[in-house]
Amino acid sequence: MPSVQDRVIAVTARVLQLDPKEIKLEHSFTSDLGAESVQSIELVANFEEEFGIEMDEDAALSVQSVGDAVKFITQVCREQGVDA
Amino acid sequence: MSASKSYPLVDCTEPNLIEETFDYSLPPLIQFDGPVVEYVDGQAVQIDPQTLRTRDIHITDTTFRDGQQARPPYKIEEMVKIYDMLARLGGPQGVIRQTEFFLYTKNDRETLDRCRALGHRYPECTGWIRADKGDFRLVREAGLTETGVLTSCSDYHIFQKLKFKSRKQCLESYCEIVDAAFAAGVRPRCHLEDVTRADTEGFVFPFVERLMRMSEQVPEHLSVKIRLCDTMGFGISFPGARLPRSIPKLVYKLNQQLGVPSSRLEWHGHNDFHKVHINGATAWLYGCDALNTTLFSTGERTGNPPLEGAVFEYIALKGQMCGIRTEVITELASYLHSIGVPIPDNYPFVGKHFNTTRAGIHAGGLRQDERIYNIFDTTALLGRPPRVALTDKTGADGVAHWVNEFFGLKGDDRISKIKMHKIARWVIDQYEKEGRMSAITDEELEAKVKEFLPDYWEKYKGNVQR
Repeated sequence: MPSVQDRVIAVTARVLQLDPKEIKLEHSFTSDLGAESVQSIELVANFEEEFGIEMDEDAALSVQSVGDAVKFITQVCREQGVDA
Repeated sequence: MSASKSYPLVDCTEPNLIEETFDYSLPPLIQFDGPVVEYVDGQAVQIDPQTLRTRDIHITDTTFRDGQQARPPYKIEEMVKIYDMLARLGGPQGVIRQTEFFLYTKNDRETLDRCRALGHRYPECTGWIRADKGDFRLVREAGLTETGVLTSCSDYHIFQKLKFKSRKQCLESYCEIVDAAFAAGVRPRCHLEDVTRADTEGFVFPFVERLMRMSEQVPEHLSVKIRLCDTMGFGISFPGARLPRSIPKLVYKLNQQLGVPSSRLEWHGHNDFHKVHINGATAWLYGCDALNTTLFSTGERTGNPPLEGAVFEYIALKGQMCGIRTEVITELASYLHSIGVPIPDNYPFVGKHFNTTRAGIHAGGLRQDERIYNIFDTTALLGRPPRVALTDKTGADGVAHWVNEFFGLKGDDRISKIKMHKIARWVIDQYEKEGRMSAITDEELEAKVKEFLPDYWEKYKGNVQR
């Protein structure tokens, strides 16, 4: 099973239409990867679907970087008893 | 210019929402720190605005007279319905104190009879006639106790329109009309037409002085009322402005120098320079008790002071509702719209989009706390929750606000904007891919809610208000 990191990068690449190889953990979704307002919402929605979790809207949208998203989603999966 | 005072930051961790002024359940209150100063005849005089709370200021209505001059005539049943709604709006304290009717045709008189047959104490029905002694027969026959009489007072009217040979001849003619009113047992309300373009020292004040002397000879209930008609919208609210355009000086002089009681002073404005509402409120401040208005600012050319604006100004000055039922304003707007009275979408308090926001950043604010971008509790006072209209600028916050309002969801029941991402994407694509130029309609959004949020649609469709 791919890691949380691989799945986050895959979702990010699909939503933002980027090459997964170009996405680094330190990249900011907005300033480095160019996510616009609606794309930020789409990212959160797609992460929820990918991992089968529900995230707090404000907390999820405050996550800035790919690496922070990996940590945040890992924690939510643990809290919600979802294998990631 | 160098700074003369320093203001250090008052840091805090809890917001100061200034709720003593912005009590969300009321229109923002109008509060004063001290007296208003005006210079009259070179002397500073003070007007105490605190008296507005205790004075019997009120609203009068001319929707059926001046308001109707600017449009095809209303049908009798339409006017009766509007009158009935005005009575409910103004409440038992008579905040909407009077309304005036033409008396010339059979329909005019039948309308008056049917309105009075409703049995409302307020608005009292008064008449409006030309300056013709014979017309008092109409007033008497209609059983009215007060009527407006046209007494134009600028030289534009006296000489150019009415063709009087002199001011004296004009004044005497008007006084004969007033005498005829007294003789008929009818209180005359002299409409000083074009007063803001008149020679105040040379005609207006001498005429009013004469009217006050004449009034001393009759019982109080017949004493002359003065309506100050800013016929062309020339009136100015600024302190220090010159007569004849100065509303402060005009009202002050009539009230304080010529002894016209506030209860017998009324302001009637026009909106030719976008000053119509503030000029009316200014007349209240300086001593007129009555502010003459029309629903939704209908009236000759650019219209009269908006009645609904005066209602909210009244509440803001009084600091309480005073029996007013503001939700009737929405009913009146719906009704007038249904009978063909145009109301612009952005018209305050009643336009389709008066509390609709389009910018995404504003919609985000609304989502967090509707007070951020709503003027007062429009849901409670007008039955109109704040809304967002969706365009390319609105974003997911706007979509979330629209959907939650559509379903009438509050608090924790509100659906997260994360769930709206497909609708938000569809909206963006309309503009970025389809080249759309117009706003998204409510019907389109409803269709997208059914398509992209079918579970929520099934759960909440019963909440949707049409």
